Amino acid sequence: MPRIFNERVLTQLLLLAVAVALFLSTLGSHPDVPAAQSPVFFPRIILGLWIGLTLIGLVQDLLARKAVGRVERLGAAALFILAAIFYVNLVTRLGFAVSSAPFAALGLFIFGIRNPWMILGYAIAVPGVLVVLFNHVLGMPLPTSPFTYLF
Amino acid sequence: MLASLPDAIALLLTAEALLTLVLGTTLGIILGAIPGIGSTVAVAMVLPFTLSMGQAPAIILLLAVYAGSVYGGSISAILINTPGTPQSAATCLDGFPMAQRGEAGKALGWATIASVIGGLVSAVVLLAAAPQLAALALNFGPIETFSLILLGLTCIVSVSTGSMAKGLLAGVIGIFLSSVGGDPVIGEPRFTFGNWQLISGFNLLAVVIGIFALSEVFIRVSERPKVVSELTAFRGIVLPRWAEWTGRRKGLAKSVVIGNLVGVLPGTGAATAAFISYAEGKRSSPNGAKFGKGEPDGLISSEAANNAVTGGALVPTMARGIPGDAITAVMLATLTLHGITPGFRLMEDNPTLVAAIFAGFFIINLLLLPLGLLLSRIAAPILRMREAYMMTGVVLLCALGVYFVRGNPFDLMVMGFAGVLGFVLRRQGIPMAPLVIGMVLGPTLELTLRQGLILTRGNFLEFFSGHPIALGFGLLTLLALSLPLARGILGRLRDARAG
Repeated sequence: MPRIFNERVLTQLLLLAVAVALFLSTLGSHPDVPAAQSPVFFPRIILGLWIGLTLIGLVQDLLARKAVGRVERLGAAALFILAAIFYVNLVTRLGFAVSSAPFAALGLFIFGIRNPWMILGYAIAVPGVLVVLFNHVLGMPLPTSPFTYLF
Repeated sequence: MLASLPDAIALLLTAEALLTLVLGTTLGIILGAIPGIGSTVAVAMVLPFTLSMGQAPAIILLLAVYAGSVYGGSISAILINTPGTPQSAATCLDGFPMAQRGEAGKALGWATIASVIGGLVSAVVLLAAAPQLAALALNFGPIETFSLILLGLTCIVSVSTGSMAKGLLAGVIGIFLSSVGGDPVIGEPRFTFGNWQLISGFNLLAVVIGIFALSEVFIRVSERPKVVSELTAFRGIVLPRWAEWTGRRKGLAKSVVIGNLVGVLPGTGAATAAFISYAEGKRSSPNGAKFGKGEPDGLISSEAANNAVTGGALVPTMARGIPGDAITAVMLATLTLHGITPGFRLMEDNPTLVAAIFAGFFIINLLLLPLGLLLSRIAAPILRMREAYMMTGVVLLCALGVYFVRGNPFDLMVMGFAGVLGFVLRRQGIPMAPLVIGMVLGPTLELTLRQGLILTRGNFLEFFSGHPIALGFGLLTLLALSLPLARGILGRLRDARAG
């Protein structure tokens, strides 16, 4: 990647595009309301500042031409992030224990644990302890699995 | 009220009251330390138990859980960069870097002592000056609160490490995120793009946990994994020595005053107080340049203020019947359930009960020290685990904590994406603390600005011309913004002369 289009510059451009799009979405709304009482009055000020500050940051990054350090374990990080996003999405659908056990096992594996007994033990014990603590001791029910009726 | 103190103490020296104090504080610390449970949920959890109790023990139980949970929130903030409660978000800024240096015990020691002193002083202030403070709070309208929040926002400048523009950008993004959802004046949805889940906005704790804790886990997994975690050396709380307090007492006193004052203002809260105090600490401390890198003064500023709020928040609740936040609203409900009507008449008609509540609050804060020491020793072996186990466990705890806030699957998704956003932005050198400050202070800033503009018929200059308190805060804000600039220019001039 050419130095001028490094990760920092691309991130700033993305932030600028988001801010401009959000600002444009406020145009034309509530023309009949006095400016200061419009629901978009305050967000417009904030978005204006966002755009201005992103431009300053962009100029700084272009002048500095300083690239961000490479991600040491890109594949592992990407896999873990994807797993975490899946996990937080599934935790209320599949239940806490059912979704946490495979996530914990995968997480430990990505972090470099290779002992299968440790992975298995942790993946069962930690979510299990949390379920017992919250469901039975504190009386704060965790998301239940749709398969609970089988037991 | 001081005349009723002997009777109040007699009321507290019963087995039921003493047991309530110890159990309530212990439970509060444990619940506060679990990310996401927070003070409001903790207080709401014990509310049903108070129905069968007497008036004083019932309120004392709620207060014990409240004060304990505010302190407990700092434990997870320091050890795993996951604030147990939003009020502990400022504690992460210096507490976690200290833990990363292997000084977790020391960080907890500073936090414990600052919390205890903050709480104790606020209890004394409560006993001595509750009616006067309640009267002072009445002088704060939306315009004064707006200028106070503006002053609080200046701490974005002080916590912006690296590029100032990037720090301000993060703060502005935080304020914008807080404006998503219903408009605070007329309730019209903004930036929801047809998604009904966004009408109530982004949950603060989901975002805070995502950008602090989850992004930290993502960063750790992207680096070569460490075999042992930084908490290997953790053996429990290490209390600071007397000599280490040299030069820090003034900052502590200032933070306690800020906590008390912000506490008495309805609708502000402990998170706001912690950040305002942090900004003031950064400005006035001789170690200000080290704030955000694991400086005990930063921890003292945030912890003393957020615990001092707990006492201050009781002033409008008890003396006026105005709850300052959700927690004091729950307490107000409990008072009503027990047939107590808050207001000035309460202090005149039932001074013994009020004094017992305030004296009980003093004892609760004294209990934080031994209980904190004991609980940290019990928890220490659990925390000395390998990084892989610790980080995987943090993700499970984050999910659990965010789920308990509202039980809303959408919040979990918000946390996940906030984690990714935090990971990306932190890699670009954009600090995350200003984003949280913006999210915490943004809603009050907008609400008070809009209310002020209604009061002044759209004339912003009138904010400062007709309101001396607002003018004072406005001048302090200008000073806070210009001082770092002046220091920078002077520093460059000095360097140029030396070079």
